[in-house]
Parts: sequence; C-alpha cells; structure tokens
Amino acid sequence: MKKTFLFLSFLVIGTAAMAQKKTTTSATVAFDASTAIDALPKAENKTVIAAVDTKTGSVQFEATVKNFAFSNPKIQEHFNGDKWLHSDAHPKFTFKGKITDLAKANFTKDGTYTVPVSGDLTIKGVTKEVTTPATIVVKGEVLNATADFSIKLADYGITGVPIDAGKVAKEPKITVSAEFK
Amino acid sequence: MAADTNKKNNWRKRLLIAGLALVILLGAVYAYFATQQYGDTSKIKADYTVNALDFIREFQLDNKTANEKYADKIVAVNGRVSEIEAADTTINVKFIDTLTGSYAIFAFQQQHLAEAKTIQPGDSISIKGSCSGGIFSDILEATAISFKRSAINN
Repeated sequence: MKKTFLFLSFLVIGTAAMAQKKTTTSATVAFDASTAIDALPKAENKTVIAAVDTKTGSVQFEATVKNFAFSNPKIQEHFNGDKWLHSDAHPKFTFKGKITDLAKANFTKDGTYTVPVSGDLTIKGVTKEVTTPATIVVKGEVLNATADFSIKLADYGITGVPIDAGKVAKEPKITVSAEFK
Repeated sequence: MAADTNKKNNWRKRLLIAGLALVILLGAVYAYFATQQYGDTSKIKADYTVNALDFIREFQLDNKTANEKYADKIVAVNGRVSEIEAADTTINVKFIDTLTGSYAIFAFQQQHLAEAKTIQPGDSISIKGSCSGGIFSDILEATAISFKRSAINN
C-alpha cells in the first residue's frame, strides 16, 4: 500500500514537472542584415529547437546554422563560409537564459505578457550576454513567444569587406518566434 | 606634333573604352550573382535517396561522417510521417526514430507550402530537400537533422 502510494506520488510529481517544460522543434529565427544598398542578406530558420520552463523561467534555443535559408545561393555560401559563420566548425547557435522577472507572466491565465529575458548567446564559438523583452501570449495550454533584438557582428568575430562597404548590416536584427504546446 | 596629339587621344579613347567594358562586365557578373535564386527543389535530381529511419540512424552512428556525406546535398527521404508541427505561418514535417527521439525535420520551399499543409501524420511519403546536416541537441538529448527548401518528391 505504502509502495503504491509512493509510486503514484512520484508519477504525479513527474507528470507535473514535465508539464512545466515545453519544447518545440519548429521555432523560427529570422536574421536580417539587409541594408539600403543590399536587400539580400536575410534568412529564416524554421526548424529551431526551443524550450521554456514555466516554473523556473529557463529559456533555451538551438539553431542549425546551415538551415538558415537565403534566397540567393552566393549569400548562403558566404554566410556559411570560413570568414562568416564557419558552420562546418560551429554547426549551431545556442541561447541559454531565463525570464528574469517571472512575476510579470501568469502561465495559467490567458493573456499577453511582456517579460524580460536575459542569457548567453553563442555564435561561432563566442558567447555574449543578450537581454531583450519578449512577448508571451498564453491561450489555454499553448504559449506563443516572440522577441526581437540586434547583435553586433564584430562581437562574434564576424568582419569583412561587405560589412565595411555597407552591403551587410553591422548590427543585424534577429527575430525569434516559437509556439509551445 | 599634331600626329603625336592624335596618337595620345587614340590611346586615351582605347583606355576609356576598355575601362567601360570592364565596368560593364563586372556589373553583369555582379548582377548575375545578385539576382540568382535557388531552383525548385522538386525539379532537382536527388544526390541520395534514403529510408528515413536508416538515415537518422546513420547520423546517430557517426554524426561527422554522415554530415560530410549529406550536408548541402539534395536528399530524398522516404518514410511514414511521425509528426506535423506548426512553424510560424506554415508547417514542418518530421520523421522520428521513436526509440531515441532523434528525428529528421523538413521546412518547405515557398512554392511548396500549400502541398505541405496537406500532409498528415501516418502518411507514407517521399520528401526531397536540401540537407543542412545533423546536430546533437542538448535540449532534447537527441540528434536533429534539418532540411530546408523541401518539396514532396513525386
């Protein structure tokens, strides 16, 4: 009897803990480094892995660098090349952070919440802290999260003539969106 | 004296024409690369045709070798659809190895988004796409193999 009770207790606690962590493998990250003189350097990756823990506020993303889809083959080649993202050596971008003020969202009540998110963004093996507001829309069990921020390419060791010549933005805009069920 | 001046002018004219021709040539080369677009994946011959589970297991067995073989290649993957997942305004299609949680996921090319929305879990299907390689996900503790510019392989 005691063993059955313990087993059921673990099962209930385990199920509750799992329900707090939501994941998706189809988050979208858009990268826009277009400028007034070149509209081509922008791409989307629609197969980004993301997780959010509504109990602890933990937020994580992993994106396969090669799955950013550009419309132009030459830009795609440059993006993945040694001088830029060097995706053969650094095949993924990662973000590990958290919602720093969990009290600003109520994950059990439908509504739109703006929360501060802060964490470590790793690109090309270089890790920098990123802080951004994120919008979370709660509807039943489904969370829709969006955020946009800019990064400085030079911070991640990404430099070159196209950037100096103004064909690629020095601070591209990153837009993240994810639906967690 | 007048003949010398004419010679100089001729040379200047030739240099100017050569310079202009070079500028036009470089402009044409730039325009060619700048306006180039990826072709329709459904019309491109696949470099490899594979079974979904065997393909996923190839990455699990030796990620480095599998990446060298398949990354940046057009691969046609045959299998039974495990899952459909919403991705922004469209959907992604997944083949999952249920034993390990490792999977292959396909994001569709713009002109094939409508046909992607007709795919249902359980469908036996062939999907062709540009393989972006596999990564080990620390979040999922599984291998994730991504595809971009995918299309149903008829």
